[in-house]
Amino acid sequence: MYSKKPINYYSPFLQITKALKELGSIGAMFLETVYQTFRKPFKLNYIFKQMEFIGVNSSVIVIITGVFTGMVLALQSYHGFRKFGGEGLVGATVALSMTRELGPVLTALMVTGRAGSAMAAELGTMRVTEQIDALTVMALNPVKYLVVPRVVAAFFMLPVLTIISDFVGIIGGYIVGVKLLGINEGAFITKIIKHLDLDDIYNGLIKAACFGIILSLVSCYKGFYTSGGAEGVGRSTTEAVVVSSVSILISDYVLTSLMF
Amino acid sequence: MNNRMVSSELKVGIMILIGILILFYMSFRIGKYGVFSEHGYELTAVFINAGGLDVKTPVKIAGVEAGKIKKISLDGFKALITLTIRGSVRIPVDSRISIRSQGILGDKFLEITPGNDQKILAQGGKIQDVVEAPDFDQLFASVNGAAKNFGETMGELKGIISEKEKANIRKSIENFQEASGDFKNLIKENKGNISRVVSNVDETMSGLKLMVKDVESGKGTLGLLVKDETLYNDAREAVNVLKTISAEIDQGKGTLGKLVKDEALYDETKATIANIKDLTDGIKKGEGTLGRLAKDDSLFIETEKAAKKVQKAAEGIQEMTPVTILGTIFGMFF
Amino acid sequence: MEDVAIRIVDLQKSFGEQRVLDGINLEVEAGKITVIIGKSGGGKSVLLKNVIGLIKPDSGEIWIDGVETTSLSERDMNNIRMKFGMLFQEAALFDSMDLFDNVAFPLREHTKMSENEITSTVEERLKQVGLTGFSEKMPSELSGGMRKRVGLARALVLDPEIILFDEPTSALDPIISLTILDLIKQTQTYFKKTYLVISHDILGMFRIADKVAMLYNGKIIEYGTPHDIKRSTNEATKEFLNATKIPGFTGGDL
Ligand SMILES: Nc1ncnc2c1ncn2[C@@H]1O[C@H](COP(=O)(O)OP(=O)(O)OP(=O)(O)O)[C@@H](O)[C@H]1O
Ligand SMILES: [Mg+2]
Repeated sequence: MYSKKPINYYSPFLQITKALKELGSIGAMFLETVYQTFRKPFKLNYIFKQMEFIGVNSSVIVIITGVFTGMVLALQSYHGFRKFGGEGLVGATVALSMTRELGPVLTALMVTGRAGSAMAAELGTMRVTEQIDALTVMALNPVKYLVVPRVVAAFFMLPVLTIISDFVGIIGGYIVGVKLLGINEGAFITKIIKHLDLDDIYNGLIKAACFGIILSLVSCYKGFYTSGGAEGVGRSTTEAVVVSSVSILISDYVLTSLMF
Repeated sequence: MNNRMVSSELKVGIMILIGILILFYMSFRIGKYGVFSEHGYELTAVFINAGGLDVKTPVKIAGVEAGKIKKISLDGFKALITLTIRGSVRIPVDSRISIRSQGILGDKFLEITPGNDQKILAQGGKIQDVVEAPDFDQLFASVNGAAKNFGETMGELKGIISEKEKANIRKSIENFQEASGDFKNLIKENKGNISRVVSNVDETMSGLKLMVKDVESGKGTLGLLVKDETLYNDAREAVNVLKTISAEIDQGKGTLGKLVKDEALYDETKATIANIKDLTDGIKKGEGTLGRLAKDDSLFIETEKAAKKVQKAAEGIQEMTPVTILGTIFGMFF
Repeated sequence: MEDVAIRIVDLQKSFGEQRVLDGINLEVEAGKITVIIGKSGGGKSVLLKNVIGLIKPDSGEIWIDGVETTSLSERDMNNIRMKFGMLFQEAALFDSMDLFDNVAFPLREHTKMSENEITSTVEERLKQVGLTGFSEKMPSELSGGMRKRVGLARALVLDPEIILFDEPTSALDPIISLTILDLIKQTQTYFKKTYLVISHDILGMFRIADKVAMLYNGKIIEYGTPHDIKRSTNEATKEFLNATKIPGFTGGDL
C-alpha cells in the first residue's frame, strides 16, 4: 500500500509488469467489493448518496449528450439514406444506434468524465489526508465504505441514465428527421418498431451496467491507491478518466461480440 | 444529515421511476409483448430456398401482417417453414405463398395470396402453392436476357437494310440528281422564284444523301430513327412546291409559260416530278426500307425498351453498391 | 503480562533505501501515559502506524494484549483495532461530514446508541475540546488546531482501551494546548486507559507522562520516567532536552 519504489518509466518490460500488476489489483479490489457488497451491514444511505451523485446529478449532461447524438445521427443517416430513397430508415438507424451502442457508451463516457474523475479525486484526497487510514483504524473496511457505494450506485444508475439517453436520443432523431427534414412520420416510427428489438434495449442496458462497474471500479482504484499529495491526486484523476474510458471502449467490443 | 438523506433517496427514486417508465413505454411501443397474447394456429410451407427469411419474419396478406414465421428447419434439402397465423385469419387451401421483399433495402417477408377454395387450412396444414423468390442470380440472368434482346434488335435493323434496298435508294437519289441537273439547265435564265424552288429540292436531296450515307455505313441507327420526321417533312414540302410550280407552268403564266412550248423539256420535268412524288409517297405509305423505319412504331418502341432495360439494369447495379457498403458498415457495428 | 499493553520487539521498517525503524524495542505499560519523543522525521508516526497495522513492518513483532499482530489477517486485525483510538497528526477528519457527524461516526458505526444518546455524547465531547456551537461546521471551515481537537474528540468518543496520539498539541496555542493536556491527563486518570503519545512539546509532555521514550536513529535509546530522562547522560537526549530551554525558564527542572 505504501510501496514507493522508483519506477523506470522507459522500460517497456516494467511498463507491462506494472500494467499486469494493476490489472491484478483491480481484480482483487473487484472481488473485495463484491464480497463487501453482500456483507452486512448494508450501507444504504451511502449508496443512495452516490446514486444521487452519479445518477441524478449526471442526468442533465447525459440528456444533452443523448439528444444531440440522436439529432446528429438522424442528420447524418438522412444524407446517406436519401441517396437511394431509404429516408424511412433514419428512425430505425437512430434507435438501433442509440440503444445498442451510443446510449450506453456515451453515457458511460460522460459519467466517467463527470463522476469517475470526482471519485478518483475524492478518494485520492482521502488517501493523502489519511482519511482512508482513519477508517481502517476505526476497524471499518474502507472498500465497504468508499468503493462499494460507488460501484453499486454506478451499477444501478448507468442503466437508468442509459435508457433516458436512448429515449431522448430517439426523440432528438425524431425532431430532426420528422420535424426538420420532413421524413414521413409514420415510416419513421413503424421502422423503429419494426427493426428495434427488446433485446437491443436490454443488451444495451446490460452493457451500461457493466460500464458502470468498470468506470467506478477503475476510478475508485486509482483514487484509493493515490500517493504523492495534491500532485498525486491530480495524476490519479487523469489516469482514472483515461483508463476508464479506454476500458469502456475495449469492454464494449468484447460485450458486443458476446451479446449480439 | 437526515434531511439530506431523505431528499437524495427521493431524487434517486424519482429518477429510477422515470427510467422504468421509459423502459416500459419503449417495450410496449415496440409491441413485442403482444406475441404472448396471440392465439394462433400453425401452417407449414416448403421452400427450395428460404434465404433471407428469419424467425419472426412477418407473414402478410394484402400487405397486412397476419402472422409470423415460428421456425425454419431443413426438410430433406428443402426449407420447412412453420408459420404462426393469427386465429382470426382463415386461409383457403389453394392459397399461394411467396417470398417478397420491400424494395432493394427492405426485409424479406412472406406474402400469402388467398385462393378461392371453400376449404380452409387447419392447424398443421400445408400451403402447397409455393412461389420461390427470384434470387439475385436470376435477376442478373434477366438483365442479361434484356441485353441480348437489344443486341438482336440491332442486328435486325442492320439486316433490314439489305443490298437490294440500298441499291433502290441509290437509284432514287440518282434519279433525283438527274432531275435536278435538268432543272438547273432549264432554269438557268430563270432565276428568282425558281431558284428558290431549286434550292428547296437541293436541300431535300442533300438530306436524303446524308441518310443514305448513314444507312450505307450502317451506323447511328437510333439517330436515324429520330431524323426521319424532318426528312419526311422536307420531302413533302418539296413536292408541294413542285406542285405549285407545275400548276403555274400548266397555266403558262409568266416567264415559265415559255417553257411549255418546248415539249421535250416539259416531259422530262414532269417525269422528274413524278419520280419525286413516287419516292415521297413511298415513304409516306411505309414502303421500302426508309419508309418502314419511319412507319414501324413497334420496332422503334422495342428498341427503346431494350435500351431502357439495359440502362435500368446498370442503374440497379450501381444502386446496389452503396447498399452493400452500408450493410458492411452496419455489420461491423452490430 | 497484565501491565504491558503493547510490546514491540526488534521492529524494523525501511522505505526503499531509507531505514526508518531499526530495531525498536519498547513496552508500553497498560493504564499509563507513555510519551515518545524524537526529532522530526525520526519515524515516530511510522512507529504508531505499525502499531495500529496501517503499515506492515519488514521484521519484528508487535504484541497487543498478548496477541502478535504483524501477521494477523485484516479481519483479526480489525478486532484488535476495536481496542484503539487514534488521533492522526493531520487530524484526518472526513471532510464530507460536518464536525458533529465526524465525532458521531464511530458511535454510529460501532454502537447501537440511539440518535439522542449520540447527540448528547457528541455534544459533550465537543464541549470538552472547546468546540461547542461548531458542530455544523465542515472540516474545511476550521483552523488546523480546531481540526486537531475534533480529531481528539473522535479518538476519545468510544472510550477505547488504547489511544494513540500523534502530536495532540502541535498547532495549538499555549492556552488551548494546556487544556488539551489537562483533558488527556484527566480522562486518563479517570478511565485508566493506555495512552501512547507522540510529541515535540517536551515541557507539556513531561507534565503528563508516566513514561518517556526517546526515539533516535531508528532505535529507542532511552526509556524511563520523566525524572530518569531528565537526568540522562546520553548525549542525544541531553541535546534534545537542552534545545527546549527557553530563556527565563529553568529548562528540564520543573
Ligand atoms: N509512506 C511513506 N513512504 C515513504 N517514506 C515514508 C513514508 N512515511 C514516512 N516516510 C519516511 O519515514 C520517515 C519518518 O517519517 P515519520 O512521519 O514517522 O516522521 P515523524 O517522526 O512522525 O516526524 P514528525 O515529527 O515531523 O511528524 C520520514 O523521513 C519519511 O520520509
Ligand atoms: Mg509524525
